[in-house]
Amino acid sequence: MAKIELRRVAKSWGEVAAVEPTDLTIGDGEFVAILGPSGCGKSTTLFMLAGIYTPTGGDILFDGQRVNDVEARDRNVGIVFQSYALYPNMSVRDNILFPLRFKDVDKAAAAARADAAARLVQVHELMDRRPGQLSGGQQQRVALARALVKEPQLLLLDEPLSNLDASLRLTMRSEIRSLQRKLGVTTLLVTHDQIEATTMADRVICMSRGRIEQVGTAEDLYHRPNSVFVAGFIGSPPINLLACSVDAGTLRVGEAKLRATGGAGECVLGVRPESVALGTGPFRGRVGDLEPHGRETIYHLETALGPLRALEAGASARFRLGDEVSFAISATLLFDARTTRRIEGAGADMPA
Amino acid sequence: MTAAIAAGRPDWDALATRARKRRRATTALLYCVLVLGSLPVVVPYLWLLTVAVSGRMGASTVVLWRTLAVVMPALVLWSILRLAVEDARRLRLFEFSLGAVTLLVLGAVIGPYLHADNFRFLWNANIADTLKGAGGVGNRYPSVWVAFGNSLMLAGTQMVLVVVTSTFAGYYLSRFDFRGRGGYLKGLLILHAFPAMSLIVPIFLIMYWVGLMDTLTGVVLVIVALELPFAIFVMKGFFDAVPWDIEMSAMTDGASRRQAFFLVVLPQVKVGMIAVAVFAFLRGWEEYVFVRTLIFANSNWTMSLYLFWMQDDIMGTDYAMVSAMGLFYVLPSIVLYTLCQKYLTQMSVGGIKG
Ligand SMILES: Nc1ncnc2c1ncn2[C@@H]1O[C@H](COP(=O)(O)OP(=O)(O)OP(=O)(O)O)[C@@H](O)[C@H]1O
Ligand SMILES: [Mg+2]
Repeated sequence: MAKIELRRVAKSWGEVAAVEPTDLTIGDGEFVAILGPSGCGKSTTLFMLAGIYTPTGGDILFDGQRVNDVEARDRNVGIVFQSYALYPNMSVRDNILFPLRFKDVDKAAAAARADAAARLVQVHELMDRRPGQLSGGQQQRVALARALVKEPQLLLLDEPLSNLDASLRLTMRSEIRSLQRKLGVTTLLVTHDQIEATTMADRVICMSRGRIEQVGTAEDLYHRPNSVFVAGFIGSPPINLLACSVDAGTLRVGEAKLRATGGAGECVLGVRPESVALGTGPFRGRVGDLEPHGRETIYHLETALGPLRALEAGASARFRLGDEVSFAISATLLFDARTTRRIEGAGADMPA
Repeated sequence: MTAAIAAGRPDWDALATRARKRRRATTALLYCVLVLGSLPVVVPYLWLLTVAVSGRMGASTVVLWRTLAVVMPALVLWSILRLAVEDARRLRLFEFSLGAVTLLVLGAVIGPYLHADNFRFLWNANIADTLKGAGGVGNRYPSVWVAFGNSLMLAGTQMVLVVVTSTFAGYYLSRFDFRGRGGYLKGLLILHAFPAMSLIVPIFLIMYWVGLMDTLTGVVLVIVALELPFAIFVMKGFFDAVPWDIEMSAMTDGASRRQAFFLVVLPQVKVGMIAVAVFAFLRGWEEYVFVRTLIFANSNWTMSLYLFWMQDDIMGTDYAMVSAMGLFYVLPSIVLYTLCQKYLTQMSVGGIKG
C-alpha cells in the first residue's frame, strides 16, 4: 500500500502533449477514478504510474520516494489492461502464477497464493483452462487475480469493465469495489463511464485534453462543477448549456431576460434537466419531442430561453407532442464564457 | 410455382427440391473442374512414381497408362458416389469398397511390373559401376548418402540461420522505432523482388575473393542473404499481431524485456517461426542455381547436383534410376509439407506500415 504523488508530471509524444503538467495526490488505500473522454490522456497517466511510459517532466513519488527511473518490473504495481492482456499460451493457473515467478517465493507458497487470489475473484474452478476458453467476465477476473497475487502497493485498472455486458458490469463494479475495501490497496481506475467512476471511487478525477479539470466526490462534480466541461461531461441526460450575457443584474438568454445573481459579460447558463420543473412556473414552452424511458420521460422543449431538455420522473408521460407547458427552473449554474470557469454563487432562475 | 405464388402460398417442397438439384449440379461441376485441372499437375508425379517402381532401363510409360486407366474411372465413380449417396455411413462403406477394389485391380494390372531395383543407389556406394555403358567413370560418383547429407546440412543450417535472424530482426522492426525504419522496410520488399539470378556474377566473384568458393558454407550464406528479407517481413507481420500490452503486462509483472520476449511473445509467433523454417528448409533443399555455380568437388555435391550429374554425365543414363532418385529427393519435402501443413496455411504477410 502506498501513497502516490504526482508533481508537475507531464508526457508528450514529440509535439503532441498527451498529459499536461499535472499535480495529484492519492492517499494510502484510497480508490480514485480518472474520468474523461477518449484520448484525454487517462491511459497515459496510468502507464506512467506503472512505469511503462517515462514522464517527460515532473516527478512521480511512491510514499515520498521518487520512482521516475525505477523500472516497471521493480515498482510492484498490479495492472489490469483494457484488453486484459492475459498470456494466451499459458493456463489460467500459470497466468496467475506468472508475477510470482520473478519474486522470491517458493513453489508451494506461490501455488497457495495463486489459489487464494483465484478464490478471491472466483475463478478457482477454471485454473486449467486457457484464456481463449474463458468468457469476457472470467478473463477480466483472471486479470484481476493476476494483478492482485503479487500483493501490489498500487492497483491500476484501465477500463476493466468496458468489454463486459451491462449486467455483468454491474456485478463486477460492486465486486471490485468490495474487494478493494477488503484488501485496502491503493487503486486507480480509468474509465470513460461516469457512472462507473462515481459509484466505485472515493474521489473522481475529471480529465480533459491532458489536463485535470476537477478532483472531487461525485456530488462535488455534479452540483459544483468547476468548468463548463465538467458540467457537460457529468450527468445523463446532459446539462442544458445556454450562451447568455449578463449586464447589471439582467441576464439575456435567447429572447428571454432573467434576473441574475452574480456574473457579468458573456456567460454560459447551465440548467440540469431535472431542475426544469414542468406544470407550473413563470416560463412557457412547447414540447418539440419526447423520449419515454419507462421510469422517466425526457422532454425537448422549445422555449424563449432556447431549446431545453427536461427530465420528469414517472411511468407515463404527462404531456404530448406539441403541448404548451409552463415550467420553472432552479439550481442553475453560471459560467464565465471566456475562462469557462464557474462563477461561485451565481445563477438565474426568475424572469426579469 | 407461379400458380403457387398466385395462390398466395409458395410451394416450399418444390422450392426445396429445386435448391437441392441446383446444389448437386454445382457440386458435380466443381468435381469435374477439380479433376480435370489437377490432371496435368498430378500426372508428372504419377509418372515419376510409376517409372521409379517399375521402369527397367529407360522410361517406359506402360505402367503409367495402366495406372491411369484404373485410377481415373475409380475417381469418376467416387465423385458420382459422393453426389448420389447421402447417408454418411453408407457412403463410407461404398468408399471403402471402391478403394479396396481399385487397389486390387491396380495390383493385378501393374503388380508384375513392380520391382525395387531402381533404388539400388541407396545401398550401392559405387553406383556408377552398376550402370551399363558407364565403364571408366568408376568412383567419380560419391554415394548418394553423401549428397543427401550435404543437402541436409545446407538446408538445415540455412533454416536455423534464417529463423533465428528473422525472428530477432522481425521483433525489433515490429517493436522499436529507429531512424530509417520505413526505408528499411521498403528496402526489404525491394530486395525480395530482386531476381537473385542477376546477382550470380558478383556473388561468384565475392565468394572467390572471400575464399568460400566450393564450400557449403558459402552457399548457405548466399541463400540466407537472399531468403532473409522476406522471412524478416513475415516475422514482423507475426510480431505485429501480438498485442503490445501483453508484453507490457509481463514487464509490470516483473519480467525483464528479454524474459517477456521469451516467455510471452515468442510462444505466440511459434506458427510464424515454423512456417518460415519450413519454407527456408525447402528453399535450401531444392537449391540448384547457386550450388551449380559455386560448388565443384563431388564430395560437396547436394542432391540436386547429384541428380543433375547422374542424368547428364553418364552415357546411356538409366532414367528409371534417375526417377527413383527423384522420388528419393522429393520425399523429405513431401513429408515436411504434410507434417506442417496446418502451420503453413496460417502464414500471412503483415502490411508495411505500423
Ligand atoms: N504511443 C503513442 N504515441 C503517440 N501518441 C500517443 C501514444 N499513446 C497515446 N498517444 C496520444 O496521447 C493522447 C492520450 O492517449 P491515451 O491513450 O492516454 O488516451 P485515453 O484517455 O486512455 O483514451 P481512451 O479512453 O480512448 O483509452 C491521445 O491523443 C493519443 O493519440
Ligand atoms: Mg485508454
